[in-house]
Amino acid sequence: MYKKSRARYFFLLPGVFWILTFTLFPLIFSLYLSFTNANMRNFTRATWNFVGFENYASIGSDLRVGETVVTSVYLTVGSLLVTLILGTFMAWLFNHDIPGLRIFRSILTMPLFAAPIALGFMGLILFNETSGSINSIIRGLGGTGVRWMTDSWSARTAVLILDAWQWTPFVFVIILAAMQSIPEELYEAARLDTGSGWAVFRSITFPLIAPALGTVALLRLVETFKILDIPFSMLGGGPGSATQTYSYYVYLTGLRSFNMGYASSLAYILVIIAIIISTIYFWRVRARFE
Amino acid sequence: MNRKFLVFVSLLSVLLVLMSGTVVVAQGETFMGKTAEELFPGAADETERANAMAALLEANLPDATGQFAGQTLTLAVQQAGARGGISGPYYFWREAFQAATGATLEIVEIPQAQYFTTTSTDFLTGQNSYDVMNIGAWFLADYVVNGWIQPLDPFFEQEGFPVWDREAVFPSLANLMKWEGQWYGALNDGDAQMLYYRKDILTDPDWQAAFKEETGMDMPVPPKTWQQLLAVTKFFNGKDWNEDGDPDDGISLHLRTGGQGMFHFMSLSAPFAITPAEGDDIGKITKYDNVYWFDPDDLTPLINQPGHVAALEFLKELAATGSTAQFGWELAEAWNNFLNGNAVATFSWGDVGSLAQDPSRSTIQGKLGGARIPCSEKWYDREAGVFVEDSANPNCVGNTTGGSWYPVMSAFTDTPGLAYYLMAMQAAKPINFFNVYYGWTGVDPGATYDLFPPIGTASVDDYVAAGYNADDALEYITGYGENFFSHPIYQTYLRIPGTETMWTILDTRLGQAMIDELTPQEALDLVAQEWDQVNNDLGREEQLRVYQAGIGYVP
Repeated sequence: MYKKSRARYFFLLPGVFWILTFTLFPLIFSLYLSFTNANMRNFTRATWNFVGFENYASIGSDLRVGETVVTSVYLTVGSLLVTLILGTFMAWLFNHDIPGLRIFRSILTMPLFAAPIALGFMGLILFNETSGSINSIIRGLGGTGVRWMTDSWSARTAVLILDAWQWTPFVFVIILAAMQSIPEELYEAARLDTGSGWAVFRSITFPLIAPALGTVALLRLVETFKILDIPFSMLGGGPGSATQTYSYYVYLTGLRSFNMGYASSLAYILVIIAIIISTIYFWRVRARFE
Repeated sequence: MNRKFLVFVSLLSVLLVLMSGTVVVAQGETFMGKTAEELFPGAADETERANAMAALLEANLPDATGQFAGQTLTLAVQQAGARGGISGPYYFWREAFQAATGATLEIVEIPQAQYFTTTSTDFLTGQNSYDVMNIGAWFLADYVVNGWIQPLDPFFEQEGFPVWDREAVFPSLANLMKWEGQWYGALNDGDAQMLYYRKDILTDPDWQAAFKEETGMDMPVPPKTWQQLLAVTKFFNGKDWNEDGDPDDGISLHLRTGGQGMFHFMSLSAPFAITPAEGDDIGKITKYDNVYWFDPDDLTPLINQPGHVAALEFLKELAATGSTAQFGWELAEAWNNFLNGNAVATFSWGDVGSLAQDPSRSTIQGKLGGARIPCSEKWYDREAGVFVEDSANPNCVGNTTGGSWYPVMSAFTDTPGLAYYLMAMQAAKPINFFNVYYGWTGVDPGATYDLFPPIGTASVDDYVAAGYNADDALEYITGYGENFFSHPIYQTYLRIPGTETMWTILDTRLGQAMIDELTPQEALDLVAQEWDQVNNDLGREEQLRVYQAGIGYVP
């Protein structure tokens, strides 16, 4: 019995080591850094001093933070809405008996497997203003080409479109699974009362997929607020700073300017926002089920 | 008569042998037992291979297999592939290097936007993966101050290494390879921005007459001031001057954020913002004269001074005479637009001149005009606090914008001798000269032997032998040389820790101004504010000391 207990702890060791080394240590060390003026560029000249909340106080007066938050919020809200609406619609569509359903479902999930950095490069080709296929189609339909690369809001929208293209299948897969878990008897009973498909969706389907939608929305919210790879590879954060997101700015501050103290404080703000959002979500979910 | 005939035949024989020299080399000669085919598998054709072999043999590389056999050298270079600019030559000469040393050369390509971050992080984390790094001149301060690289001077007097001529390096470029008197870089690529234009169009009598009629001015060939260039590009923009049925561009610039567009602004703004010193030594650095970046007394950024702002307003005006797609273009796209005959002018590095000779990339061979970077008819006198306008005596300021990509040696390399061998080999005159006249290498002229007399020793024939059109070679090389040697004063180069960050900030804010998100004044005010912050973060006093030393200012 005693030996069995010791073995249990032994098998836990790798996991504990992993979490301590690669999760807790970076988390605590970056928290420490956020209270220092650590700058790796003057590595040999300066010491890292404790500066209290100075870094956090600077965030409020940093103009770049305001600019990047605007971009991040636009992308997060826009992409969240597009992916949720499209993904749910597609799931509803595929929740019916359609010939070749499995094949279509597999094809639709393919964008999920693309590397976002590669998507950015693909976007560079697709959204090219002079030779890109998207503007060619628009011109072919009699419109005028959009300045995807040289206009701030068009560039942000191009990033949004790519991100939504990649993540709509994720919403689709989760919501489809949620829809398929709804007992058929509920639909049969509802159909006795109404012939309206919309009424059935509103009163039966939506309430029952709402928890899944909430989870997906939370995951997408946090994920999209962190977006960096597509704007980086597609537009280099430009035109100007139009597609520089908050995470992009953290990257530039930490790994281009090597201002680790300030970058850590910026990153911690992101962590705090994520914690607040998920706490609110889980509080709401708990309240709903209790 | 008989004797005359014999002399004639002898001379003819000598001439034929000389003319067929490269072919003889390619067919019969080997280097360290290897043939040209084995040494240059990446050559585009037999001529290129033969010329490379001739250059290799002329370089007279010492056999270093006894010293370095079995060792491995790791080189970091910008990602552009085996036939791409800057990285290409290292691949091209790799077999020869390996044959000469018995060592292995590993080439690690890093995307340019990540280059500084990747190599710096490598040092900061103590990995020290690279023995040699091909860096941009503006990285040097960070690398030296942090002790990441070592001087090359101890190797200069040692036997057993390829010989390269440091005296031949353009003085302004040599300064960028040195820090406090010691050499850290070896000659590779020499950078400055010059003006290119379509000589065939600007000298066409019909276009000249139309220009005169529309503007009331004679066509300036070449445009000598920015204002003249604007008049030219404005006139041609939107007209179908290349007769392809579509409206064509006046200027071709690359202005994408992260696409090195800030370099254009540096070259263009210099004569708007820099004034020569009074007295005999007009190049003397004073508080007000020959400075561009910061006030040399207190490190106050000058980037938002009226001269710089006027230059940015002008750049916007100039950019408006080209395609709107320019704001999304990187370097190669802007070059291609000019090389494909869609723009009447561009200003950029030396690459354009050599790429114009490559039929696979250019339709303008034989039509190229080249001149030194234009002067400005209007500039700001900071000491007097007024703008000066004088079209008869414009303000001319040369540049070393970009400042070249050259190799430096890690302070932590296990194979310093082998590292220096590679650097010296690439800098050896015949090899460097070969790289210069083949445009795909991305290596621009940086030594006097690349230029024509009286400054240099090259001839038009040298370039014609590599496939240049003779007129183009004359235009390009003369213009490039004048860029380095004929301007009365030169823009100082920013070489302080944090330069890369500062230029990223400038690039971003310029991008915002170019797409009208910010006014030029707002954009440059923000740049000044953020540069101040960088200096404060890095230690203002030390930054000021390094800046003063870097530009040669004595308080």
